[in-house]
Amino acid sequence: MTLVAEAFVSQMAAAEPWPESATLYQPLKEDQILLSDCASSLAVQAYLRMCGLPVQVVCRANAEYMSPSGKIPFIHVGNQVVSELGPIVQFTKAKGNSLSDGLDDIQRAEMKAYMELVNNMLLTAELYIQWCDDATAAEISRPRYSSPYSWPLSNILAYQKQWEVRRKMNAVGWGGKTLEQVYEDVNQCCQALSQRLGTQPYFFNKQPTELDALVFGHLFTILTTRLTSTELAERIKSYSNLLSFCRRIEQTYFEDKSS
Amino acid sequence: LKTAFSEPNMAAAMELRCWGGDWGLPSVHSESLIVQAYAKFSGAKVKVVPIDWTWKTLTATVPELLCGDSAVQEPTNILNYLRKQRFNADYELTARQGADTMAYIALLEEKLRPALLHTFWVDAENYANLTRPWFASRSPFPLNFLVPSHHANTALSRILLTKGEASLHGITEVEGKIYSDAKECLNLLSYRLGTANYFFGNLPTSLDAFVFGFVAPIYKASLPSSPLQSHLRQLDNLTSFCDNILAVYFTHTMTNTISPPPPVQETMDANLQKLTQLVNKESNLIEKMDDNLRSSPQHKPHRPDPKPSLASEQSSTPA
Repeated sequence: MTLVAEAFVSQMAAAEPWPESATLYQPLKEDQILLSDCASSLAVQAYLRMCGLPVQVVCRANAEYMSPSGKIPFIHVGNQVVSELGPIVQFTKAKGNSLSDGLDDIQRAEMKAYMELVNNMLLTAELYIQWCDDATAAEISRPRYSSPYSWPLSNILAYQKQWEVRRKMNAVGWGGKTLEQVYEDVNQCCQALSQRLGTQPYFFNKQPTELDALVFGHLFTILTTRLTSTELAERIKSYSNLLSFCRRIEQTYFEDKSS
Repeated sequence: LKTAFSEPNMAAAMELRCWGGDWGLPSVHSESLIVQAYAKFSGAKVKVVPIDWTWKTLTATVPELLCGDSAVQEPTNILNYLRKQRFNADYELTARQGADTMAYIALLEEKLRPALLHTFWVDAENYANLTRPWFASRSPFPLNFLVPSHHANTALSRILLTKGEASLHGITEVEGKIYSDAKECLNLLSYRLGTANYFFGNLPTSLDAFVFGFVAPIYKASLPSSPLQSHLRQLDNLTSFCDNILAVYFTHTMTNTISPPPPVQETMDANLQKLTQLVNKESNLIEKMDDNLRSSPQHKPHRPDPKPSLASEQSSTPA
């Protein structure tokens, strides 16, 4: 969104309280959704639950195309549509719900830096593994991505998406990496997160923030998604404080949902 | 690109290929600055070889560290290599500070790099008046026609691929977003730095090298139009941070940046050289006029100031 549109949305957002009928859209859970989208969607769900804002999760095959930015997930609140965690956090802030108000400037800087670390490393690694690793792409990503569509549209869409993601990987310099290097990058990222978390319940001690939601979304999804190899999940499992972090958030905020 | 360490001989000469310097900086290229700064911080004896005026301006990936048989590219890999050779500026950091380093570097990459690329390579006024003449004048004929536009295309596609929201969006839709992200990123860095000289304690580390590499070009370049530069100039602690690093670590190399090009130029025929200069000047002027004609009415076409370009051409004449 342009800056003017964003300011306008914020102003409209502040005018109304959070309605009961807010919905979150994502691709079909059983057959279609992929690892990276599932992680982003879970992060947003966790964030909204942490804020105490009710939202219904609706699965649609064309969720990606409905989204204003082309990214999953997006929420439909009142008469506004907002996609991706960053803008959603700003949107809820305009409505008076924020998890990071208690942080001082330096802590907020740290929080944003760690969120970018997750986006830069974990999300990019997820995309790489899904689309640039030939085995995973052929066995899992392309079939799942194109499952709602019939041939030949399924083939066209799947290969188009793969081409797009590969272009992006080349642009950010991940095109030349091997799978081993990507696993190593994930390992380093998890090590950094584990160091930062330490023995605290959440990243900023007692209260969860959007960083906790984002990290939970990604780590939980990686741990619970079946890929061609379990190596990614194994790397995360070696950090026990991250495992207990995920379990804690799942129990606190998702206890009514069967994982 | 993983290197083989043939022998742990720290006296082996290390050569670093970079873009040359200007505007008071040892290099105008962010990645080259990062590596040069880290080499200074960690005490690594690295011979800096500018690729200006050579064919490497098109063929080489810069920066590149050459040591013996191995060649390492990309700042992160080069810093890892130097660390393994025991040139480690981070050894005093705690594990938590190491984690913070990774996080802040990710912040720079995601939030500041798109605006940095845009300011130098996509913004029409900056590109026509500063970036393209600079890179064109430091590339040998006929590469001066190819090098700047090659980098500009790469920059534009990188911005669109990473920040463009839908494949049909052009650059204008994302401009506002990337500049507001960049300003916020600079603010966050300023909060984090506070009143200290460096980000972690009294000695600079790899995070300082990365911040310096990203921020110094925005600070020092003579950009005709840059709201980002004006924003940065208001953040006193970041500008002092850059000036401090330049004063402490780069004073004795500054005099080299305005020296004549490397000796290989002297072997060129003098007439061929004059011809090259004339063609460069002509092509620069033609391109500038072309751009001025095409740009919007608010950008009043004006004759580019002849002094800087003549000065730069004169400085490339060997004695």
